[in-house]
Amino acid sequence: MPLLACRRLAFRLAAGAAAALVAMPALANDPAADLVSATAAQAIDIIKTTTGAQRQAAIQQVLQTRFDLPYMAQTALGTHWAKASPEQQARFVKATETAEAKAYAERFGQYAGQTLTIGKTLSRPNNVWIVDSRLNQTNGQPIKLEWEVRQLPAGLRITDVKIEGVSMVMTRRSDFNSYIQQNGGKVQPLIDELESRAAR
Amino acid sequence: MIASVFKVATRVRHSVAAAAVAASLLGGCAVNDTGAAEVWDPIETPNRFVFSINRAVDVMAIRPIAVIYRDWVPEPAQKSVRNLLDNLGEPVVAINEVFQGDPSRAATTMARFLVNSTIGLAGLFDIATMLGLPRTKTDAGQTIGMWAGKGVEPENGGFYLVLPLAGPSNARDATGLMIDYAIDPFQILPIAFNWDWFYYSVPRYGLNVIDYRSRTMFALDDIEKNSVDYYAALRSAYTQNRADLIRAKRDKTDTKGELERRDNLALVR
Repeated sequence: MPLLACRRLAFRLAAGAAAALVAMPALANDPAADLVSATAAQAIDIIKTTTGAQRQAAIQQVLQTRFDLPYMAQTALGTHWAKASPEQQARFVKATETAEAKAYAERFGQYAGQTLTIGKTLSRPNNVWIVDSRLNQTNGQPIKLEWEVRQLPAGLRITDVKIEGVSMVMTRRSDFNSYIQQNGGKVQPLIDELESRAAR
Repeated sequence: MIASVFKVATRVRHSVAAAAVAASLLGGCAVNDTGAAEVWDPIETPNRFVFSINRAVDVMAIRPIAVIYRDWVPEPAQKSVRNLLDNLGEPVVAINEVFQGDPSRAATTMARFLVNSTIGLAGLFDIATMLGLPRTKTDAGQTIGMWAGKGVEPENGGFYLVLPLAGPSNARDATGLMIDYAIDPFQILPIAFNWDWFYYSVPRYGLNVIDYRSRTMFALDDIEKNSVDYYAALRSAYTQNRADLIRAKRDKTDTKGELERRDNLALVR
């Protein structure tokens, strides 16, 4: 009898453990995917409620809170980052931030009811996640969007967006690197150019 | 004696040149390629020259026509034009899918071609998709990229090349373009039956250009507006996009290669 009870208990425990294991993936929230979907929801909300300069300001605020802009700027500058003075670095980050906000405000201007379907999340060492997603268009093929999310002391931040395999940060990196090389390997002309564009 | 030595030397030189060409076609600098390096562009000056001419032609002629096409031609008509052009390209896609080691996919593509060419009124309507035969698109550039050595990153397509009118390309994709042209039945038939190319090839390629330009309008405008060096930004975007397509072909589930590449990038940074 005690043996049977013991067995029953063991069975119950096993069943409970199995149930817990099955329930785990459903219960375990995926913070990286949550960040992406929250950002997308916030962006759609901004598009629907704001226009013009107000929209750009709102988008800039989203970029500041959801994206790791200094990190992205640093990656985009590549090996030239170390060569720049702290003052240049700060100005560069500021200028790219404005440029990004402007670019996104304009992109969202074309918004026509697309929806974002979040796919699977890939976990990487060094606290990096890749969130797969599809941007469903009203006409035509869905667009493949991948988000790179990193764990920072301040929380999770998006550090790159890849559209159909084209990384925004990598493209910027190539772009900036080429511009710097054409201007005698100096960072200052690039900063001046970005600042004059931001002021426009 | 001297003549024969000279002959041998010439032969060696020829074979070295051939090997060099072959190596560059299969993706030049494969050694220690972390993928974090810039796109290999040894002929940047002539490339930029062709690029500027392309841009002038685009601004003056192609883009305005594409804008009119996009905004004024009714959506269903645009869709039918796209279907028609895609249907003409279907045999080439099927041949490539065979060489990519996916005969069942090739069979589906051929089934699509037969259905759409008949019931779909010469390809104007995509009936096959409604019947559960989805469209896939591929080209010989992707086939070469897929079978290039394991050590060759898909980012490495040999030297970067800007083609007149066709735009961004590289050694791999330009070779692919030539192969696709050579194996295209709708290219061979007009020659075999001596059809007038002016009434066949010109409209086909003209429509292809306008259709393609109208679809890439948003992406290209975006890159142009948000870059300080349009040429370099487009070079990077093109290379990444092609690499992504090839990577998907090479390995349908594992994204490890790409992620290792990103880790390498973080190291160089």
